[in-house]
Amino acid sequence: MISNFLQIILDVASNLKITTVIIGGLALPAYNVARTTLDIDICIKIKSQKQLNLFIEALKEKEINTNQHPKIDHDLFTVFGKRSEAEIWLKPCDAFQWDEQMVEKIQLFFGDVYVIAVEDYILTKLARSDRSSIDIDDILKIIIANKDTLDWKYFHFRLNWADLKSDFIKIIKAFELDFNNNIRNISSDILDKFKNSF
Amino acid sequence: MNQKKAKRAPIHITLADIERAYKKVDEFQRLIERGKTPEQIFKDMLRLIEIDK
Repeated sequence: MISNFLQIILDVASNLKITTVIIGGLALPAYNVARTTLDIDICIKIKSQKQLNLFIEALKEKEINTNQHPKIDHDLFTVFGKRSEAEIWLKPCDAFQWDEQMVEKIQLFFGDVYVIAVEDYILTKLARSDRSSIDIDDILKIIIANKDTLDWKYFHFRLNWADLKSDFIKIIKAFELDFNNNIRNISSDILDKFKNSF
Repeated sequence: MNQKKAKRAPIHITLADIERAYKKVDEFQRLIERGKTPEQIFKDMLRLIEIDK
């Protein structure tokens, strides 16, 4: 059983047939990584303003409210319950929109909790306009923990799509520091996998 | 693609950052080996967020 607050949001979205995923730090365990986080970030794929209004109304009936007037072209809005709050994103990242391939690659975490594909998740961290050192640390951990399951070809396609290849190369090159110092097989393997994805 | 041109923080990674990342991944793996599931870790994180609020 997840928290009542999160479950209500997931149920309301499900009843309205709205695709919903957990994003941000809270989604990290789905990618075999964890750290403390203070935020609940939920991303929904809304088809129309009408659907968004219905979602907000349905949440209101369950005593989850927003002080904002969300529009379909906004990035996000905040909702409040009695003891909790969450940011509801209308796109996976402030730098890009949903696309069909991203939706197709959504994966079940457990129960009715879904997350985006690990490759797309890394992209949300890399592309965000307020990217911080925490995002870079998360990317390093995700690469290490998922090097064997990552779809490197798809990831490469996404890096080009988002024009973030040069940024990611700076991250991947950091594994050379480790390779040169410790000759750690995992770092060598990561570097090889990235090179072979070209 | 609808992408905003944004100014993001520059990327500067040190060997210490890489070492820390490996350590954190090992810690997660140890939790799994001790019988915790990613689902339980997610729920623990969620509980901590709600206590904090």
